[in-house]
Amino acid sequence: MKNLLKIFIGFLAMLSISGLAKADYPEKPITMVIPFGPGGSHDLNARVFTSIIPQYLGNAIIVKLVPGASGQTGTAMVAQAKPDGYTLLFTHNYVDQLQHHVKKLPYKPLKDFVTVARINYAAACMIVLSKSKYKSVQDVFDTAKASGGKMKLGHSGMWGATMVPMAQLLSWGKVQANLTPYKGGGPMVKGLLSGDVEAVLHFPSVIKGQGSKVRTLGCGAKEKALGNPPTFDSLGFTGQIGYMDRILVAPAKTPADRIKKLQDALAKLKGDKTFKKFMGRLGENMEFMNGPDYEKVRAEKSKNYKNLVKQMTKG
Amino acid sequence: MLDSFLNSFPILFGSGNFFTILFAVALGLLIGLFVGALPGLTTLMAMAIVLPISFFMDPLVGIPFLIGVYKGGIFGGSIPAILVSLPGTGASVATTFDGPPLTKQGKGRKALETALFSSVIADFSSDIVTILLIGPIALVALLIGPPELAAILFLSILIISSTSNGSVGKNMIMLAVGLLIALIGQDPIAALTRFTFDVFELRAGIPLLPMLIGLFAIPEILINIESKAKQFVQAKLNLKKEEQLTWKEFLGLRKTIFRSTIIGTTIGMIPGVGQVVAAFVGYAAAKNASPNPEKFGKGELEGIAAPEAANNAVNGPTLVPLLTLGIPGDNVTAILLGAFVAHGLRPGPQLMTEQGSIVFAILLCMLLANVLFLILGYFTMPLFSKVVSIKKSYLLPLTIVFAFAGSFVFRHNPADLYFLLFFGIFGYILRKLEFDVTPLVMAFILAPSLEYAFGQTLSLGDDGLLKYLLLERPIAALIICATPIITWKLWKRSKRLRDVATEVTSNQVK
Repeated sequence: MKNLLKIFIGFLAMLSISGLAKADYPEKPITMVIPFGPGGSHDLNARVFTSIIPQYLGNAIIVKLVPGASGQTGTAMVAQAKPDGYTLLFTHNYVDQLQHHVKKLPYKPLKDFVTVARINYAAACMIVLSKSKYKSVQDVFDTAKASGGKMKLGHSGMWGATMVPMAQLLSWGKVQANLTPYKGGGPMVKGLLSGDVEAVLHFPSVIKGQGSKVRTLGCGAKEKALGNPPTFDSLGFTGQIGYMDRILVAPAKTPADRIKKLQDALAKLKGDKTFKKFMGRLGENMEFMNGPDYEKVRAEKSKNYKNLVKQMTKG
Repeated sequence: MLDSFLNSFPILFGSGNFFTILFAVALGLLIGLFVGALPGLTTLMAMAIVLPISFFMDPLVGIPFLIGVYKGGIFGGSIPAILVSLPGTGASVATTFDGPPLTKQGKGRKALETALFSSVIADFSSDIVTILLIGPIALVALLIGPPELAAILFLSILIISSTSNGSVGKNMIMLAVGLLIALIGQDPIAALTRFTFDVFELRAGIPLLPMLIGLFAIPEILINIESKAKQFVQAKLNLKKEEQLTWKEFLGLRKTIFRSTIIGTTIGMIPGVGQVVAAFVGYAAAKNASPNPEKFGKGELEGIAAPEAANNAVNGPTLVPLLTLGIPGDNVTAILLGAFVAHGLRPGPQLMTEQGSIVFAILLCMLLANVLFLILGYFTMPLFSKVVSIKKSYLLPLTIVFAFAGSFVFRHNPADLYFLLFFGIFGYILRKLEFDVTPLVMAFILAPSLEYAFGQTLSLGDDGLLKYLLLERPIAALIICATPIITWKLWKRSKRLRDVATEVTSNQVK
């Protein structure tokens, strides 16, 4: 018993010394929670940049997948974590800026988290089968209008990355349609291929793999790899539609110098050859945006989503 | 297609890194085996963690490496299920019916070997079917939409609960309880919160792993403790005395393995159904076909072979939608998709036509993995069966530690320990009242998918459900019509089996 006590005291002493010494952050690996399941695009992007970051950060970032309740389980975990820079959250705008308008959450995303950086974004594109008669977004709208809201469109989950932009597009085009949910992007594409639904939104990296089977009618951003289809902006839609921002956030009380350190390391990724190679293969861009810049986008989007949710849940 | 198939052989064998591939697959298998054998660590997590390693390998080394982890992990999960009644996944639940009784009789090694041989044979055969029928399987995958899936899942739940042990009434109660607790959390369609009573921990639903460990392992431990504690402390199984599977016993299993392979392969072709259903249906079918169904659940080798063969036979065909259509059907295939993509190979129709030989080379690697696994598994088996040969007075507390640690490691969420305790006590009470928890677990696992597919069907058939089913979904309509007939037949049959069982027990009493 006495020995045990000695060990315990020794352990405490060690802890306090290491606390006092204040070695350079990060002196141990950082945990990065992803509130989604394995194999998704966040997981893939994270596996790539976390395997390259140690050389710029001086320590590792360990990915921890905590899926559940549309991302809320993992987000709540980080919200409750110690704000010491050793627990971060890799999430996207819909979880971060939309969900709190839909339901009560045990955290306030905009207040409880601060953006470290946006790693990149993926902009959704509208696709139909190549053999279908639709040649433009307007064609889809016209058919939806003619069908009296019965045209079948698919999305990959309520308030998710393909459902929200689809709702935004429909709301701008002042049309209604039958929106059928699918359990993720894969099943949604299958729904399109088998003709269950007529149009869906998806991300360029996935669309490329479908080759000539599908036709891209429009995209949120310029997509050279898909043969430059018209952007939603050029079709007259205002605002940024379809951007899924992959953002790294930290608990709001995390010391500013530690966040700065993370930002500096992440900014160096852009010049890294291995990073470039893998992002190219994944079909993802490297549109890095620093935290302070993204904070403005964040507030703006949150406001837009609030209006959208109000409009959608009214009926 | 044939060209790319033939071209795949030189790619695989002539590339000069054939031995590297062998080594990578073997390494993956061992990693998977150990991760799968430790409760709480899932194959999925292991695959996600080693994924970046595969990025920096040659595609034909990295992807087979991941496939190795996958295959090893699925089998690994059966080891604690057989030895200490700790199912690591839903797919190994059916293995806990006959595994632990066999272990208690000192036949743990026999059971493990049965599991290994049936798994490998079934997996190998289903991979061959996959290679031969890759085109048709892809077509089937497109034919199965939400209405068909809903009808199939509903039928599966009925089949499994009508062939479970115990009275029909009790099974139906368990079924209803399973469906009810599956409703807790967010509803899958509109993401609204249900039955959570404002407890945030419930919002993601009841976690599967703590529930499985609670329902199966904890009652087993408690019952072991109360059954003659004295005898228990003394009991020690000697490894050397543990019998191995004889050739004669193996031959006796061939029909069961064959049947389960067909069941598993067929289920694998239907996207969204999966290993859990395959294992249970395989078990139910073996029991139905057996001349002595009353022996099932008391330590029958067929009861191990049936679910193990069935759930491994699912592996091959589930890869088809990924390889031919570029659509990952579950999380495992999603990770494999990631591995492909990171190598600049994006699965889908284009890859199949342009680089089909690579796709076939990877399928051949799966066959290779099976052969390797047979060898590796055979030599590591004594190691695992040794685990239970330690003194039971150590084994029991160890199992408890693993049960708790496994539940916690799964999500690092302290709330899961409460779930474990709750379901442990609940399972113990049910066991005492002679309720079979199988229908509960089945319903719990399948309910979310069923509800999802049902909700999608309602949405797709918005303007007249009946019209939609009859005119646009003839397959679904057919399955729905067949459901009452199949259930009625199976129920009558299992009633006969139950009568036989009661007769046997009453004879034994006399």
